[in-house]
Amino acid sequence: MISFGLRLAVAGGREAVVRLVTIAAAVALGVGLLLATLAGINAVNAQSARYAWLNTGVAPGQSSATRDPLEWLLRGDYFAGQTIGRLDVAATGPDSPVPPGIPHLPGPGEFYASPALSTLLHSTPAAQLADRFPGHQIGTIGPAALPAPNSLIIVIGHTRGELSQLPDTRKVTSIATVAPSDCANCMVGTRAAGMDLILGVVTGALLFPLLIFIGAATRLSATRREQRFAAMRLLGATPRQISVISAVESTTAAVAGTAVGFALFFLFRHPLAAIPFTGEPFYPGDLSLGVVDVLLVALGVPAAAALAARIALRRVRISPLGVTRRVTPRPPRAYRLIPLVLGLGELAYFVVGRRPTSSLGQVAVFLPGFLVMMAGLVVAGPWLTMVGSRVLARRSSRPATLIAARRLADNPQAGFRAISGLVLALFVTSVAVGVISTIVANRGIHSGGAASTRMTQQFWPDGIVPGAADSGPDAVSADLRSTPGVQSVLVVRKNPAYSGQRGPDQPLPGLISCADLARTPALGHCAAGAAVAAVWPDVAGGGRAQTAARLLQSAPLSAEQLRQLPILSILVDTDGARSTIERARTILEGAYPGSQRPPATDDDVSSDSTRALTGWQQLANVVILASLPIAGCSLAVSVAGGLSERKRPFSLLRLSGVPVRVLRRVVALESAVPLLVAAVVAIGAGFLAAQLFLRAQMDYTLRPPGPAYYLIVLAGIAASLGIIAGTLPLLERITGPETARNE
Amino acid sequence: MSGTGIVEARDVVLSFGETPALRGASIAAAPGEILAIMGPSGSGKSTLLHCLAGILVPASGEVWFDGSRIDTLAEPQRSALRRDRFGFVFQFGQLVPELTAEENVALPLLLGGARRSAALHETHAWFQRLGLDGLEQRRSGELSGGQAQRVALARGLVAGPTVLFADEPTGSLDSLTGEQVMDLLVATARERGITVILVTHEPRVAAYADREVIVRDGRVNAHLRDRVRS
Repeated sequence: MISFGLRLAVAGGREAVVRLVTIAAAVALGVGLLLATLAGINAVNAQSARYAWLNTGVAPGQSSATRDPLEWLLRGDYFAGQTIGRLDVAATGPDSPVPPGIPHLPGPGEFYASPALSTLLHSTPAAQLADRFPGHQIGTIGPAALPAPNSLIIVIGHTRGELSQLPDTRKVTSIATVAPSDCANCMVGTRAAGMDLILGVVTGALLFPLLIFIGAATRLSATRREQRFAAMRLLGATPRQISVISAVESTTAAVAGTAVGFALFFLFRHPLAAIPFTGEPFYPGDLSLGVVDVLLVALGVPAAAALAARIALRRVRISPLGVTRRVTPRPPRAYRLIPLVLGLGELAYFVVGRRPTSSLGQVAVFLPGFLVMMAGLVVAGPWLTMVGSRVLARRSSRPATLIAARRLADNPQAGFRAISGLVLALFVTSVAVGVISTIVANRGIHSGGAASTRMTQQFWPDGIVPGAADSGPDAVSADLRSTPGVQSVLVVRKNPAYSGQRGPDQPLPGLISCADLARTPALGHCAAGAAVAAVWPDVAGGGRAQTAARLLQSAPLSAEQLRQLPILSILVDTDGARSTIERARTILEGAYPGSQRPPATDDDVSSDSTRALTGWQQLANVVILASLPIAGCSLAVSVAGGLSERKRPFSLLRLSGVPVRVLRRVVALESAVPLLVAAVVAIGAGFLAAQLFLRAQMDYTLRPPGPAYYLIVLAGIAASLGIIAGTLPLLERITGPETARNE
Repeated sequence: MSGTGIVEARDVVLSFGETPALRGASIAAAPGEILAIMGPSGSGKSTLLHCLAGILVPASGEVWFDGSRIDTLAEPQRSALRRDRFGFVFQFGQLVPELTAEENVALPLLLGGARRSAALHETHAWFQRLGLDGLEQRRSGELSGGQAQRVALARGLVAGPTVLFADEPTGSLDSLTGEQVMDLLVATARERGITVILVTHEPRVAAYADREVIVRDGRVNAHLRDRVRS
């Protein structure tokens, strides 16, 4: 019976082959996506594990601690918007622990650099980068220590005791091995659990349309197939034999689809690895599959297909005299709105100041809200479809609208099923894009202007005493001013009157010379006759307007008294050219090598979050671009199935003089209108959920996404409509006079 | 057009691929006449009906309706003719399954541009006349074969056609129900002066006609009987 079923599946005529290929294609896409998700989760965990060593000193290490501790100073640095991890080390003995990725500790005057940083060091003028790092390179850091292929990391060797003078140096006896996800104190790396969760939601948004597609493909030519089964029953086949044949057909398609899905995964592994959804790309090898993953997919998917075929067959009773449906779909009830209302209510509840304080608490509150809304959209969809189409059917005088509306009202579950995947995908991406666009707009990321031209070296809160260990500020200022592209240099000193209290009458923490300020008039001006003005460490203070008209608070000090105070920060205004900024940064780092914080522009500081947001944006675009055509395919298969079911009444209508354009309009209304309405509803619900989240979590108001989002949505919808339009020639062909004659 | 036929085919020839279906068939129906076309399976009787109705275009020969040649018209004009001047009743499967019975009947009126309320009002009279009272809101799947065929008959007549083409209208019904449907079809046609071209292979159904012709091997080769109209 199995071989007979196999023969029917592959040699059952053109219709059977089309069905087989469609199911196999849908399964292949689903399997490819499932494998990408599993590999993505593995990749996030692998990358997270490679961040572990960078948390040495704050995270638990190996139990076998050494007697020769390692002097360890980890700091961040920037180059052209990328973060550099700079580790200064000094061995205190032969047993000092060695970080991963290098064969031994670098000696004084030596360093190891990651491959990406090595390339930069060789391709960039030394005054812009290499002069920051003392000594010479003795090798490259191996992948075991690099979270990503493009990681910029350097390990610099020093003499014993050289580092111990610097305030943030630690003495470590072992290298941390605990991934940041499992370490409460860890500062560097990604939280894999949160990433996995988000990845799961995104994959759900992609997988759901695919499951709908597989379901639609399975129902393709179901009627004819069931009639064939009835004919076999008439010849004496038992229900069990019919069940086996059906399972063999479905499983054959699923096995073929699974094999193609594995091929697709390995074909697209490299491009997938390049998507930086954790903020950093992956090594292709990170996207690996474990034995359990492979077995789960390779055996689970065909088994699930066989089970689905069995369940589908249980819904019809195939007797020797024909096929009867076991159940007529009951009209959906209004209670289906409850989950959607609950989801919206849950998010709205936290808008009015009930936001949980901890991150975990926020995830526990908002994620269920989004998930309930997603489920609510899917559950409420058929009811909304039914209500809308009933109203349309009652009022319509146009035959095409009447037929389309009646069909949707008759079986709204089937009508909505074809577009429910699209609804979810658009909802998820609209939430993501809405939140990302608003954060970007509010935080001024990539804002240009001073954010990308002014660099600040901060010594907050203690300041640095000039001449103690570092170059004097005058020499540094002179160096900076002589650098081509540097427009002004402003030294902010520590205000001895600053008490730490904030308020309109409280003195500000910094002081500047009015003579220096006159060279940077855009930051404001001093009162007439004043020699020193009080300012914030970055002069303007976070979020405060900087205008030439701003009158700065005067301080009762002379210029000479000001020169004796510790330096709180140095501001360098540049022309914004990368080479100018990197030269100035190199000069400052050379002048103040002990500074824990690197000189940075606002754009540098936000570069990490910008990269992460860009990664998420790319992921959201992938979801839209992938899910819309998949939803379009589901629709096309549903349309083709619906046409096939009704070819006789449609062809007889044509014989009676109904123009084929009326029938085309029926098909278009049945499929394109729900597609467009669902897109509007899903996008609206997504933006509403994003607004509720932003109000509750950040006190932001939703900003509309940029034109790129709308372009991508429109392109996806156009592709879907194109796929639907592709089925229309089928209508003309299958409703010709020969159908009425021969069916 | 010669003679008094409202619809006429002259020396019509048509093949499906290599298989000849009509080999010079000629036939004419007078206004108000009920004409039965009989013949064995594969004789070409349905093909002849489709040519007379402008559904198929013969390879040669002519088809006339109401003094105009229709086989030379383009498909849109022939569609309009079928929609406005002809009515159709087929053997089965002709109702749109999603629509209620009254919406199915109203469909030709809606296609003609009638308003929904007016179209539905017009259908009510047909439900009473054909004994379908109370079935207006039923779907095709909720109707018996006889009821569905009467709904189809109402749909074929509601737009006031000049000619009603009926292709095995009782083919899927038992004899009693078939007789009921034919009684209604003939009575309504007589009352309204509608010409009926009836394709059947059942003598009992053909007996309702004023005249019977037999088609054999693609030719109308015998006028079996002329009956005086009652």
